[in-house]
Amino acid sequence: MERLATAWAIFQGLLIEALPFLLIGVGIASLARWLAPGGAWLRKLPRDPLLGPLTGAALGFALPACECGNVPVARRLLAGGAPLGTALGFLFAAPVLNPIVLASTWAAFPNQPWLLAARPAGALLLALLLASVLRLLPETALLDPVLLEERRLSQPLAAVGLLERRTGLVGAVSPPPLPAKPTRPPLQEVLQHGSREFLDLAALLVLGCIIAAAVQTLLPRSWLLAVGEAPTLSVLSLMLLAVVVSVCSSVDAFLALGFAAQVTPGALLAFLVLGPVVDLKLLGLFRVLLQPRAIAITAAAATVAVLVLGQWVNLVLL
Amino acid sequence: MRALALALWGAVLLGSTLSGRLDLLLNGVFHPLVGLSGVALLVLAGLVLKADRDLAIGPGRRPSTPRSAQLAIGLSIAIALLVLAIPPNPSFSDLAANRPAELGEEAELSFVLPPAQRTLTDWVRLLRSQPDPSLYAGDPVRISGFVWPQDNDQPQLARLLVRCCLADATPVGLPVRWPAGQKPRADQWLAVQGTMAMEEHNGQTRSVVIAEQIRPIPRPRRPLEP
Repeated sequence: MERLATAWAIFQGLLIEALPFLLIGVGIASLARWLAPGGAWLRKLPRDPLLGPLTGAALGFALPACECGNVPVARRLLAGGAPLGTALGFLFAAPVLNPIVLASTWAAFPNQPWLLAARPAGALLLALLLASVLRLLPETALLDPVLLEERRLSQPLAAVGLLERRTGLVGAVSPPPLPAKPTRPPLQEVLQHGSREFLDLAALLVLGCIIAAAVQTLLPRSWLLAVGEAPTLSVLSLMLLAVVVSVCSSVDAFLALGFAAQVTPGALLAFLVLGPVVDLKLLGLFRVLLQPRAIAITAAAATVAVLVLGQWVNLVLL
Repeated sequence: MRALALALWGAVLLGSTLSGRLDLLLNGVFHPLVGLSGVALLVLAGLVLKADRDLAIGPGRRPSTPRSAQLAIGLSIAIALLVLAIPPNPSFSDLAANRPAELGEEAELSFVLPPAQRTLTDWVRLLRSQPDPSLYAGDPVRISGFVWPQDNDQPQLARLLVRCCLADATPVGLPVRWPAGQKPRADQWLAVQGTMAMEEHNGQTRSVVIAEQIRPIPRPRRPLEP
C-alpha cells in the first residue's frame, strides 16, 4: 500500500511538472499553424544534401513544436514545394532542436549538461542520416500520394518528371488556380484544434507517467539494476520504452528522469533521441506524409542509428 | 466535455500551487510556471466553452468528436478528478530506497555555517567536500529529517533533494548512533540533538551523530530540499 502511495505521488509529480510544458508546446504549434508557413520562399530554401536538412533543423527554432505539432507543419512545407531534404530535416530534427524541448531537458537534467548538448547533436545527426537515406527513394515512392499531388501543384513544371505529369504537356486537366497566399485559419478553429491536441497528448502523457511511476516504484530494484546496468540491454529497453510510451518531445525528458538513476547514460540519450522520431503514435501521424515503405525505412534506420549512438555514448562515458 | 477536461486540468495545476501540494512534489523554481499554466488552462476552458455554445446556437451541424478523442477526454477527466481527490502521500524511505545516494557538483560548499546551525543537508555536503571525521568530532548537532532504514547498518536520518520533481529525489543521509534499545520507525520525522563523533564502519573511520535528544516532529511543510 505504501509503495502504491509513493507511485501515486511520483505520478503526480511527473504529470504536474510536464503539463505546463505540454501546454506551451501545443500553444506554439497552434501559433505556427495559424501563421501558416507557405509561399514562394519555401521553394527558395537550400536543396543541398547537407545544407537542406540543416536549414530544416534550424527551422525548429523558428517554429518550435513537439513532434505532433511538427508533422502538420512539415506537411505544409512539403505541400508548399519546399526541397525534400529541408522538409525532412525539419520533420526529424525540429522536435528536439527547439527552445521548448531544450528548456524542458534542462529543467529535468540541470546536473547533466552533457545531455543538453548530446540530445540536440544526436537528433541532428539522426535527421541528417534519415534525410540522406530517404532521399534515395524517388518522391513518388516516398511521399503520400495526396501530399504528392499538392506538392506538384507548387512545383515548377520542369521539376516534375514527364511520366508523373497529369497536367501541362501530357495531362488532360488543367490544375485548379492556386490561391496567391495560403489562407490563415480562423482563430477559433486554431483554438479548437489546439485544445483537442492538448487533450489527446495529455492522455498519452498520463499513460506515460503511469508507466514511469510504476516502473520506478513497483518493479523490484534488482530487476531494474540488472537491465539498467547492462550497456546494450539498457539501451534496447529504453528504446522500446520510447516507442511504446509515445510521449511528446516537450515532456519526455521528465519521464526519462524517472529512469535516469537506474540506467546507463547511453540508454538515457537513446530514449531522448529516438522518441521524437519513432514511436507508436508517430507511426500513425506519419501516414499523412510518407508511404508505408518509407515509414518502415525511417523506423529501421532510426533504430539502428540510435542503438549505435547509445552504445558509443556508453563506451565513452562508462 | 472538452471544456470540462481543460478546466479540471487547470484546477489541478492552480489548486496544487495554491494549496501547497507542490511543496511535496516539485522543486520551488517550477511553482510559478505550474500556477500560470493552471490559469491559462482555465481561460482556455472558458474560450472553448464559449466557442462550443456559439456553435450550438449557430447554423449547421456540430462536428462529431472521434472515438479516440472521446477516450482521451474521458481519461483526462477521470485522472484529473482522482488527482484532485487523492493528495500525494509518499513514503520518503521508499523514495530514498529506490535511488542511488549521489550528490552532483552542487555538493561544493560556498560557505560553512557554525555547527549548531547546520541542517542535515549542510552536514552531508560538508562531510562530502571535506571527508575528515576528526575535523568535526565533538561538534554540536541539531538536525531534523526522516528515518531511512539501511540494509546492513543502523537507520540513518535523511532528507530528499529534488532538482526537478519527486521522480529524481536523491536521498542524503547521516549515520546516527541511536540510544540503546531505541529503534526508530522508518519514515518517522525526527528532530535530533547530539554531538558528532567518529566510528569504525567496514574498516573505515566515518562521522556519526551521537543522538542525545530525539523528538518526533510532523512532516515539514516543505519537506524537499532544492
